[in-house]
Amino acid sequence: MPRSASSNLGYTPPDGGWGWAVVFGSFISIGFSYAFPKSLTIYFKEIQEYFSISYSEIAWVSSIMLATMYAGGPVSSILVNRYGSRPVVIAGGLMVGVAMVMASFGTTILHLYLCVGVIGGFGLAFNLQPSLTIISKYFLVKRPIANGLAMAGSPVFLSTLAPLNQFLFDHFGWRGSFLILGGVLLNCCMAGSLMRPIKIKTKLPPRKATDEDDTGKLDVTSQRAGQDESKQSGCAAKLSQFIDVSLFKHRGYLIYLVGNVLMFFGFFAPVVFLAPYAKHQGIDEYSAAFLLSIFALVDMFARPGTGLVANTRWIRPKIQYFFSFAVIYNGLCHIMCPLLPGYSGLVVYAVFFGLAFGMVCALLFEVLMDLVGAQRFSSAVGLATIIECGPVLLGPPISGLLVDIFMDYKYMYFACGMMMLLGGIFLFIMNYYNYRWLEKEGKQRKVDELEIGSAKELAANEEDKDNEEEIKRSTAEEAADSTCKEP
Amino acid sequence: MASFRHLILLLLYCDGMKTETTPSPQSDPVITTRKVVSKGQNQVTIEELAILKPQTIELSCYLTDIPNNPPYLTGYWTKDGKGIVNSEETVNRTNEQYILKKTFDILAKDLGNYSCIFKEIQTQVTFVLDVPVIKDKRDKPIVSYTGDSVVLACKLKQTPNTWNWYKANNTEKGLINVTANPLNYKIFIHGNETKLTVLNLTEEDSGKYICSAEFDIKPSESYIELKVLSYIEPLKPFIAIVLEVIVLVTLIFLWEKCNKPQNDNISAGENELCSEQISKLTRDDSNGVENNTARQRKLEH
Repeated sequence: MPRSASSNLGYTPPDGGWGWAVVFGSFISIGFSYAFPKSLTIYFKEIQEYFSISYSEIAWVSSIMLATMYAGGPVSSILVNRYGSRPVVIAGGLMVGVAMVMASFGTTILHLYLCVGVIGGFGLAFNLQPSLTIISKYFLVKRPIANGLAMAGSPVFLSTLAPLNQFLFDHFGWRGSFLILGGVLLNCCMAGSLMRPIKIKTKLPPRKATDEDDTGKLDVTSQRAGQDESKQSGCAAKLSQFIDVSLFKHRGYLIYLVGNVLMFFGFFAPVVFLAPYAKHQGIDEYSAAFLLSIFALVDMFARPGTGLVANTRWIRPKIQYFFSFAVIYNGLCHIMCPLLPGYSGLVVYAVFFGLAFGMVCALLFEVLMDLVGAQRFSSAVGLATIIECGPVLLGPPISGLLVDIFMDYKYMYFACGMMMLLGGIFLFIMNYYNYRWLEKEGKQRKVDELEIGSAKELAANEEDKDNEEEIKRSTAEEAADSTCKEP
Repeated sequence: MASFRHLILLLLYCDGMKTETTPSPQSDPVITTRKVVSKGQNQVTIEELAILKPQTIELSCYLTDIPNNPPYLTGYWTKDGKGIVNSEETVNRTNEQYILKKTFDILAKDLGNYSCIFKEIQTQVTFVLDVPVIKDKRDKPIVSYTGDSVVLACKLKQTPNTWNWYKANNTEKGLINVTANPLNYKIFIHGNETKLTVLNLTEEDSGKYICSAEFDIKPSESYIELKVLSYIEPLKPFIAIVLEVIVLVTLIFLWEKCNKPQNDNISAGENELCSEQISKLTRDDSNGVENNTARQRKLEH
């Protein structure tokens, strides 16, 4: 692990105990955030009929929700930096619940865009970021496992929400379903209430103890990062009170951003087009849907599994390589897909793709935590999501365009595979250099510390010598005094 | 000619069947021909034909690739499983094909399944003659709420003369008249699709709605079921879930408050110890400072 990232937490994370309850809360929040926008598509056909609009107009609801969820990242980070995870998640849960209830009374499609898309999207953004941040505060040694377990929420919730939505739709129509879903989403508040802020006991000098209300207790929603950066001038200083913009000078973070932008162009499109590709091959609807179920099932188990593997002592120090390997493996899967014949080929592809997808998702935020450390993670993830917003949203439509131009899915798969390979290879090479530079910097720091240490030793030795001389002198004086006093 | 037949055989190999409609220029009433080609023996082929108006139609069955190439075969026709009298004929082999044709006059009562059957080789080709069937029908009812409106839609590939909507009350069908009830119904017809909008829904509006595509020969019908609920229905599970969330959140916060005082007591004690140690360290430090200044003074002297 790079030294600089983990050492400035200021306390030892519990790595267990209440941490597992926090992981459960994050599991729920992350599950709703990722799975909910995708599961809404079941209602689209009826809403389309009701408002007499085209399919692309109704599809905007999902797109706006996803876009706002990603774009709301920095806002979420600022709030978490100031108030901690718990209030933000509870607020997010309330927002998205109220948004769905309001949407159930909607009279125009614009009403739905605003309620479900904008307000709902922000509510989900306020769920996603804090859940990830609080894991980095509670875990260090077992952090990959915690991350893997929390990220497993996405496939689990998708598998549950899809049939639930179908059931609600059949019994209550779309308005009633939105009302009930608003209630279901309020469970995010329950998840948020589990995210207890960490109370650490720091050793403060006595003069400072009187300043605090509770003696010696501090919340680690610290503004230290902002204080450190206050040396900058002008609007950079003002901005960095809220969010840590100096991250853009962090070498590892920049590598992560570039690699991720490349990767996300080809990340989600294959999931979106799996069922249509199967139908295009002549496979019936139920078998095509079954492929998605296989994919989700493998994904569900791949995420905690990857967390366990990443936690082993062989992989943890070089976790960046593991991540780039996962991305490259993903790319290879896509390139091989068009070469696999028939339904059994697609089943094999779904299994391997599920594994690859789960690996990348489980490691996605773990490597970021590894690079920037827990203190700056909140700002880092906010800035990362708003930059990733572009490729995530553009990826599927561009792939759709490729399919329309060539009337064949295999070019789309090649393109996605190539983008992921490019991203993975870039990450691998740049992280190789990054590890080397970090080692060099670590050695340099050790040399500096040694110098300082030896200088301190010399000063201490001198002090000891002086003390000895003083003792000798004082005993000599006493002896002299005593001899003087004797008559 | 031979190359043309080879082409047809090749197309068969890919397709399995080939249909074409060519108006035969022989007699005044336009006769539509439908041809199905079947390859090999022990085959059962089914072909659906959409009949829009009363017409005379000639159905032909072409057989190829029969093993042993017998010089003749016997074939006959059935309608809906029952043999048609005097339809049996002997089919001679012509250029490695066996052709069986028959002309039928189709009116509304004549719609059904017509099959040509070849006895010796158990080969059967069935033509399903029917009005166009409205596909993608929902088998579950559409749910809506009182005071709200709902849109029911029907769609076909072919364009009928017109569309009609009926509401079914038990066994009777009542035509929906927009001019009589302009506040409650709106009908939109655009070629091969139609939409019925029911406004100001009440509980009585629940039931079966039938959309009927009117063709010259016979109307094609499909039904959609509508269920109208009051707002109380979804409110009950919603309130139940909200209560569950409130209970859980309260329990979690209470649990945290119960554990908090214990932690407070422990940490307060620790803090006192901590502050004692810290003050001791600072006293030692200040002693060191005094010593240094004393030493400096002595050195200066």
